[in-house]
Amino acid sequence: MTGGWAGRILEVDLTTGKISTRDTHLYARDYIGGRALTSRIAWDELPPDIDAFDPQNVVIVATGPLTGSLAPTSGRTVMTTLSPRIYPRPWHTHSTFGGWFGAEMKYAGFDAIVIRGCAPHPVCLEVRDGQARLVPAGDLWGKDARHTQIALKERLGPQVQVLTIGPAGENRVRFSTVQHAEDNSAGHSGFGAVWGSKNLKAIVARGTGGVSVAHPDRLMREVFELGTFRIAPFSGALYTTIYDKSKTASKERPVCSQACTFNCQVGNYGKSNDGRRIPGHCVGGIAWMTKGFMAATKYSGGGVEIPPSENFGLCEEAELHELCNSLGLDSWFRLVMQPWFIRCQQLGIHAIRGYPINPNDVFWFEDFMRQLAYRQDLGAIFADDLMRAMDELEGELPDELITLGRRLEFAFGFPAHREGRFWDEEPLPFWVISAMMYASESRDPTIGGHHSALLLADFVLADRELSLRQFRRLSEKVWGYPDALEPTFEHKAPVAIWSQHQHMLIDSFPLCDFAFPRIIVPPESRDEWVAAEDMTGDLEIDLRLFAAVTGESLTRAEVNTIAERAFTLERLLLARAGRQRQMEEEWLVPHFKLPCRADGTAIDAAGFSRLLDEYYAARGWDLEYGWPQADSLQRLGLEALIPELEALRARVAQSPPIVSPLRGL
Amino acid sequence: MAGMMRIVTHDERCRECQACTLACSLYHEGECNLSLARLQVLKDMARYQFQILVCRHCESPDCMAACPSEAIQVNELGAAAIDDTLCSRCGACAAACPYGVLFYSETHDRYLKCDLCAGREGGPVCVAICPVGALTLEATAVEEVA
Repeated sequence: MTGGWAGRILEVDLTTGKISTRDTHLYARDYIGGRALTSRIAWDELPPDIDAFDPQNVVIVATGPLTGSLAPTSGRTVMTTLSPRIYPRPWHTHSTFGGWFGAEMKYAGFDAIVIRGCAPHPVCLEVRDGQARLVPAGDLWGKDARHTQIALKERLGPQVQVLTIGPAGENRVRFSTVQHAEDNSAGHSGFGAVWGSKNLKAIVARGTGGVSVAHPDRLMREVFELGTFRIAPFSGALYTTIYDKSKTASKERPVCSQACTFNCQVGNYGKSNDGRRIPGHCVGGIAWMTKGFMAATKYSGGGVEIPPSENFGLCEEAELHELCNSLGLDSWFRLVMQPWFIRCQQLGIHAIRGYPINPNDVFWFEDFMRQLAYRQDLGAIFADDLMRAMDELEGELPDELITLGRRLEFAFGFPAHREGRFWDEEPLPFWVISAMMYASESRDPTIGGHHSALLLADFVLADRELSLRQFRRLSEKVWGYPDALEPTFEHKAPVAIWSQHQHMLIDSFPLCDFAFPRIIVPPESRDEWVAAEDMTGDLEIDLRLFAAVTGESLTRAEVNTIAERAFTLERLLLARAGRQRQMEEEWLVPHFKLPCRADGTAIDAAGFSRLLDEYYAARGWDLEYGWPQADSLQRLGLEALIPELEALRARVAQSPPIVSPLRGL
Repeated sequence: MAGMMRIVTHDERCRECQACTLACSLYHEGECNLSLARLQVLKDMARYQFQILVCRHCESPDCMAACPSEAIQVNELGAAAIDDTLCSRCGACAAACPYGVLFYSETHDRYLKCDLCAGREGGPVCVAICPVGALTLEATAVEEVA
């Protein structure tokens, strides 16, 4: 292997202070890097049956072979741990984020960092040019994420890159983040709380090394052929009313990651009260906190009423966005809690346990965010997320509110996304594909969803007949049969599995899921799309970038096997945590019985069961628990895991199932 | 030196994607290494402001005048360029540069200076790759000769 990997993985035991390294190449061939690599380390080293705040919980920060190179959007990092947000018991999950940290960690000589234990006092891990040390961080404890980074840059130089938690992580808020730069974060999974439980305030990286590139000319050619400032995500040009090309090209937009050369439509700038420019991205960011977006958070159907969230205006949103990132809260909490509080008011409830609620008032909202981060007053009830707050408040509030809270938090402690009901328009068949992904993954399939669901769904919403005609040709080329994207319930498992594998790879090379895989040629205008006979994109770009950087030529079949191996390990980690088919049906059916907001389609329990049968069978998993079987493990080179899988089967047969509070709805 | 070209920076357009520095080191050194790039992008996090540092290609370069080894010579593009084989690592060039855009790489013990990518078809790679036009190649003003 001549390029790409730094070659070493750093290991830090916070309890003993021991620091050691291991060779990345133990994993590179079978797992590439990033998320796939973490699945192997977590399976081998994460003890079963522990709590997320147990010192034995393992946090892994990993990059891939492309990180730090010129490969477009490759400056990404993945973080995994046992998530305290999962309800009711934790399981292993991941979060990916952009920024500049992963590249700097590579330049410092490490592909990944594996952290276990609990420091006796707050510490900061400093990683610099092949060396690492733990430094007391008592003076940083209590600082917000923004000022922690500024302080460390003042102390150690402006070029250091920092990952840090804010007060929310220190106080173990279950939806607290690990923050980096202005608004990059390991968001949904409560990573901040796990860091807080370990007394880990920050990781600082600084490296003067580089990423070696096997074929510099090829890499340069690929990057220029891909084109700079192309629109991403690839459906961006559809919104001609918003994204007039002539205006878009000149519009200033931030990037969220090193080596991103795209004209990404999900970022925007806002202004702070003191006049600074602030970048924001995607949900929770100032990019999307527009009046139109907030109005689209309204949902009504199947007896569920979700009022639209209030938009506070661009300046106020910019301030809230920065506050959220400074406190280290997952900004998605707002899409869950704000409509719930508004519904409380609509039902005549204006205080909870004596604390007034006024969710349409920006000052109340700002105070509430601080209360969450510091677990004070009303925040003390909701800092364990809406699902657990509903357990706490059951009997005190009307049943409708308790049920609504549980529905909003959706499944397993994560908010809904790409599922066609609460926040995204996903007409048939896209929400069916999402449902299969929800049923088989550790978290919301945000990442897979960006391409398999949301973006292609955009074309259907723009012109149904045209897009379905184009999709038949696309489906034939990508999945080998024409009805993969027909608006039906059948034959969708191959698309879900394809999406999951492509995105395992995107998270492992890594690249950005807003730009890759390039399933269609991104049109630069709506007219260009309408005129296209065949919209199928170039699906081999990732492999060419990988080969140019590493010098390794892998075939699509080979990388698909790597993706399947890692996905199987993630599923086994779920199995170890007690996740199985009964849980998936019980938690997801009440949601997918609700009518899809785009086209009114829905599915009943029997229909959902058929979806699971199709998906599990396509995976080669058993139909009873939805777990991989011995022959799959054999095929993937995981035969050593078969005895533990059999032991898990014996155990699950004896264990009481994890019951959903939404059971029977 | 009429008609000489230089790279002009537009800091307000920069987004710190580092494509310029990554492409620079890839083109010149065959690896992606920010500390081997001939230009640097700095960020002030407190103010969220960026600064691109790159050679101004002075008409009468102080760096060239300061070099005791004659390691800095004007190339075919009219840009002062360092011949690393002649460089004695004395640092006089970097000390003489009024703009602080001649960089020393401690890890590689080398002085690095923009040479406008002499020999590259299509001009400087940083200008070609910048997605937002934060770097442009412009002709220096032609001075009237009295």
